[in-house]
Amino acid sequence: MSTDSVIKIKNLDFSYGGPKILENIEIDIQRNEFIGMVGPNGSGKTTLLKIIMGVLTPDKGTVKILGNPPSQSVQEIGYMPQFTPFSRDFPISVEETVLMGRLGKTSSIGFYNNADKRAAEKAMNDVEILDLRKRVIGSLSGGQLQRVLIARALTCEPQILILDEPTANVDMKVEKDIFDLLKQLNEKITIIVVTHDIGFISQYIDRVACINRTLICHPTSELTGETIEKMYGAHMHMVHHHHEDENH
Amino acid sequence: MQNAIIGGILASVACGVVGSYVVVKRIGYLAGGIAHSVLGGMGIAYYLGRPPIEGALVAALVFAVVLGWVSLKMQQQEDTVIGALWAGGMAVGILFISQTPGYNVDLMSFLFGNILMISSDDLLWIAGLDLLILLIVFLFYKQFLALSFDEEFARLRGIPVERFYLLFLTLVALTVVILIQIVGLILVIALLTLPAAVSGHYVRSLNLMMLLATVLGVFFTTGGLALSYQPDLPPGPTIILVAGAFYLASLIITRFWKRV
Repeated sequence: MSTDSVIKIKNLDFSYGGPKILENIEIDIQRNEFIGMVGPNGSGKTTLLKIIMGVLTPDKGTVKILGNPPSQSVQEIGYMPQFTPFSRDFPISVEETVLMGRLGKTSSIGFYNNADKRAAEKAMNDVEILDLRKRVIGSLSGGQLQRVLIARALTCEPQILILDEPTANVDMKVEKDIFDLLKQLNEKITIIVVTHDIGFISQYIDRVACINRTLICHPTSELTGETIEKMYGAHMHMVHHHHEDENH
Repeated sequence: MQNAIIGGILASVACGVVGSYVVVKRIGYLAGGIAHSVLGGMGIAYYLGRPPIEGALVAALVFAVVLGWVSLKMQQQEDTVIGALWAGGMAVGILFISQTPGYNVDLMSFLFGNILMISSDDLLWIAGLDLLILLIVFLFYKQFLALSFDEEFARLRGIPVERFYLLFLTLVALTVVILIQIVGLILVIALLTLPAAVSGHYVRSLNLMMLLATVLGVFFTTGGLALSYQPDLPPGPTIILVAGAFYLASLIITRFWKRV
């Protein structure tokens, strides 16, 4: 048994009281893996993420994050949500937004301390938005905002980074920039990314976890149109992406 | 008159700080529910011969917790339930006031406030509540900010979101009780939201929004008082109209500005 297992799920079932949303899920994610998670809408992707983050409790089975139950590992996971639920005209700067990632790690009373500010600065530096720190979030482009949210997820200095469709609302150039950035971060952090764009991300990830109530893992090399078709249960086109600036 | 001006300044602190959260979290309707249902507590206190502010305080805190619970647990029917409690609280208050022997002169000042009649005792109450609000906001500024910006994320970071939400609503309740002394409960919601909303047109951070909203609150209350003094108009509605006029003007100016 590997000692470097970061997320280990065994025999997991989950339902919201009705039919099973997830059934017999098994996965063992190793340190510094880059996992792509795909599946049709309503297939249980976000539910599985919420179980990993300790927000939902499974009906059956075990979940170990770094050897501990999820509730004890919250601070080891950085999370970037699928939707941005806040309004863009909220009066808040990039730095203040990124600092929110320190909640739970910093003291519960008073303001953020210097250690928090250093961590936020490092995270902003890592995703190359340090020069935007004083900007109000309403003035950012879509790609810049995604970077802010990644920085917020990184500020708690996590060992695992989970991103729920980080590039759903940005153009392809930004999508490539963000995945290049994630690939860099992946040298130190285990990453799980939910996406629909398997064709594009296959060049970045190590394994694909296909979810549709059950979970099947494929190494990236096994990915074919046929596997994807089976998973989505309908005909789907594989789009091949060409990036002209790939060699720069 | 001196008491009235001091009262206006003290009230502006609470409405600037708490009002900014109410505006960015967009819970004006819920705050309105708390403000109006407070009449129930004031009516009962009045009937029992106690100072109405005591009844207002108890009722505001109780309704804040009840309404908070409703908005957390019954999101589907939240607006209907708030509406029912809003009207129900007022009905209770009016029934108790009607059963109180003697002149019912105070009903109008409950509803529309009477800043000119504010006593030194009232000022002490308001100052004490101000201090309490500032202390709590100072201690938990970052949690309240996270809660109003992105509740889901705050929850994932292990913040007890429900508890902080209820604590925040008790701050709203305390502010409502303060503001009732100034403009009465019908107009509370305007003074709670308008200075913060105007402020939000110009600033880029929540703490500056609170500061500017407080300054604007002082300006609106003293300005309204001054305008109402000579023609002997009721000060509460005058204050609100000053605030409302500035809000509309600011809205138009900032819209125009952005388009140019």
